[in-house]
Amino acid sequence: MHGKFDDLGRFADPSLLILTSLSDGPKHGYAIMTDVAAFSGVSMEPGTLYGALSRLERRGWVRPLATEERRRPYEITAAGQEILAEQVKTMQRIVHVARLRTATAWGA
Amino acid sequence: MRPGPAGRLSRALVGWHPRRWRERYREEMLEVLDQHHPTARTVTSLAASALSTHVDPAYRTERLSLARLRRAALISALVAAPLALILGPVGYRMWQDSYWHPAADEPLETAAFSPHAGIMVTAFGEAIDGTDMVWDITDLSRPQRLSQFEGGQPMTLSPDGRTVATIAYSGQTVLWNVASPRHPVKTTTLSDGDGSKLEELAFSPDGQLLAAARHDKIFLWDMASPARPRLLRTLDAPVASPAGDGPIPFSQQDLAFSPGGTILASATGTDQVTVWNVTDPAHASRLATLGGAGDFIQAFTFSPRGSLLAAVTFHGTVLVYSLADPARPARTATVRGLLTRALYPSGSPQPQETPLCATCQPASYAVAFTPDGHSLTAVVDREEMSANSGRDTIFDWPVTGSGTLGAVTVAARDVADFQPVIAPDDRTVVGSPPGSHAWHAWPLP
Repeated sequence: MHGKFDDLGRFADPSLLILTSLSDGPKHGYAIMTDVAAFSGVSMEPGTLYGALSRLERRGWVRPLATEERRRPYEITAAGQEILAEQVKTMQRIVHVARLRTATAWGA
Repeated sequence: MRPGPAGRLSRALVGWHPRRWRERYREEMLEVLDQHHPTARTVTSLAASALSTHVDPAYRTERLSLARLRRAALISALVAAPLALILGPVGYRMWQDSYWHPAADEPLETAAFSPHAGIMVTAFGEAIDGTDMVWDITDLSRPQRLSQFEGGQPMTLSPDGRTVATIAYSGQTVLWNVASPRHPVKTTTLSDGDGSKLEELAFSPDGQLLAAARHDKIFLWDMASPARPRLLRTLDAPVASPAGDGPIPFSQQDLAFSPGGTILASATGTDQVTVWNVTDPAHASRLATLGGAGDFIQAFTFSPRGSLLAAVTFHGTVLVYSLADPARPARTATVRGLLTRALYPSGSPQPQETPLCATCQPASYAVAFTPDGHSLTAVVDREEMSANSGRDTIFDWPVTGSGTLGAVTVAARDVADFQPVIAPDDRTVVGSPPGSHAWHAWPLP
């Protein structure tokens, strides 16, 4: 798990956000951007979006679907869902530890 | 809605991505940009994307490399082609100038040497007075052109290299002072009182006599004072006559003094060489006739000690005469068939080869002894339009003191078109290449 994370390099934010966005169903590029902005407040630019999308696609974590006019939707794959779940668990552990430690330190 | 600057730049940046990336993402990226409101951040992110994809091995495919190579080759060709068109002829001209030594408008006709002075004078063309050029041949492989003048041809150079005698278009002998070889000066015109066109000139080895020949006469001039030559003697030369009723074949005229300067030999368009006693030029007389050739003489030469004379004929027969007793010369060697061997190295005519012309000039010849007198060289330059023309044939024989010839050595190589001239070192032939208006010196095998 940790090794995969290292290999991704820029996985952290854009990739996690894209996988999260696609986890409730296929979306095309602009829909991913608006969805990410809606649930995270992160304004993702097209260059960043497609840089991350191409890496995710090569990893086999997202899959392009048939083009609808000029729009191409992407869907998350099973491997993508698995990696997303692992990532979320890691983040939950981090959040849990962070809460405990901040409560102790701040006397909450 | 018309896109703003950021939008236009963003779209342009999409096109800066690698081709393989564009094939995959371009359309959907543009669709996103149509819906997005591009800003400076958009431009920055697209520029970063373009850069990163260019260094991404996934998009640097073999196909892309080949395309780049093709494009680079095309650009190189577009740049190189005009350069080649411009520099090619310039380079060729420079090479030609260094290898072929350019002349005037016509090929080399003849050359005269003054070995002691290290200069050579070449004559080009027959029009009007032709062009003569003076060359420094201290190194014959790197001649330096010193000057040129409109003098005519053929010509001879005095042994001290100070005087050139030419035959002008008028047919008369003209003397040129080339003591300062960069500045030839016309000295005088010799009037023999006849006015007929002269054909050949020769200086005696001591430079005191100048012989000028035409088809029936030889004029001997006292050159003790080159500025005021004096006619000493007029000799009646043999006249060519047709064999039977047939036409007279083309025949070169030749004229040469023996190395000791006591004998003058002449071939005036006949089948014989005449030797003259010029010990006392004012009373010069015929010593003997070297006959037996059965063919018209084209060129001849004395051996370095003057005891032998070798001649070559119209159909390529080489004859050697002993002049041990000049009054009773003896033929010591006869070799026939040089022309046939030169024309048909394979031994017989090929179907596409035209037969020998009966009266035109089938070949040009040059003949010379080596400076040590131990071998004889003959160069046959084929004029006949045979399938083998374009290459000259060089024959070499060892020579005994008595004038007999040993086994011949034959070599064929590109030497010269028109009349070849063997330089005094006998290891170099000077001549014009086919179709060229320049000359070159070829080392003999």
